[in-house]
Amino acid sequence: MTDPHHGAPSQHGAHPRHALDEVMHAPVRFSIVATLAAAEKAEFAFVRDTVEVSDSVLSRQVATLEKAGYVAVTKGYVGKRPRTWLALTPAGRTTFAAHCQALREIAGNGG
Amino acid sequence: MIGGTGMSEYASKDAAAALDRMQRLSSTVRDGARWYVWYQLVYGCASAVLVLSIGLLERPYGVAIGSGLWCAAIAGLSVYAARQRVARRGFGRRHGFMIALWGLLYGAVLAPGTMWFPGNLAWWVPGALVVALPGLIGAYLEARR
Repeated sequence: MTDPHHGAPSQHGAHPRHALDEVMHAPVRFSIVATLAAAEKAEFAFVRDTVEVSDSVLSRQVATLEKAGYVAVTKGYVGKRPRTWLALTPAGRTTFAAHCQALREIAGNGG
Repeated sequence: MIGGTGMSEYASKDAAAALDRMQRLSSTVRDGARWYVWYQLVYGCASAVLVLSIGLLERPYGVAIGSGLWCAAIAGLSVYAARQRVARRGFGRRHGFMIALWGLLYGAVLAPGTMWFPGNLAWWVPGALVVALPGLIGAYLEARR
């Protein structure tokens, strides 16, 4: 199976699905990471609106991604309003690139 | 699991759908980050006004008017930037490069201009254009991305 933190196949020559990352594989988490991959940083509310989930669902999924070391969460203020910013970590970017490469191979292979 | 299938049954159509979703999400981020086009455009124009005021208006009024307008523009741009919800990947690097290039050009136009060409249109008008270029070219490139 796959090492969830590196997304590398355990066997050379295995089907590219083995290179998929288990943490990023879940649809909502994939959407969160895909959004953050195009951004340097994004506000929590922007990601919530883009991925079309509730605050609680996003919080839960972000916590999972943060625990895996893929997403960094920073909190701050703009004026008096509290803001939460999300960003992909370097490990998150690397894993997402490998995950997308595996997806391309699967899509190209016709299953 | 995507499309109700397990990892072991992951099909090419599921992968293609995921890649398609990634493209759509990237496009949404791109649209959300277009504010930086306007930021750079205003930055370029404001810096041209600053240079023209310093070079062509009588001292100390030119410096005072130019600096006043510049401070107002930078304060407005800072508030505008702080209120944005997303910044595109590579924003920090591109912004740092734009500001550093602007600083170099600003110094290269202002230092000889104030010493040898005060009030000289032939120096200050092209100089203002050169100083505006990092912002204007940056805005153009950002709009094309």
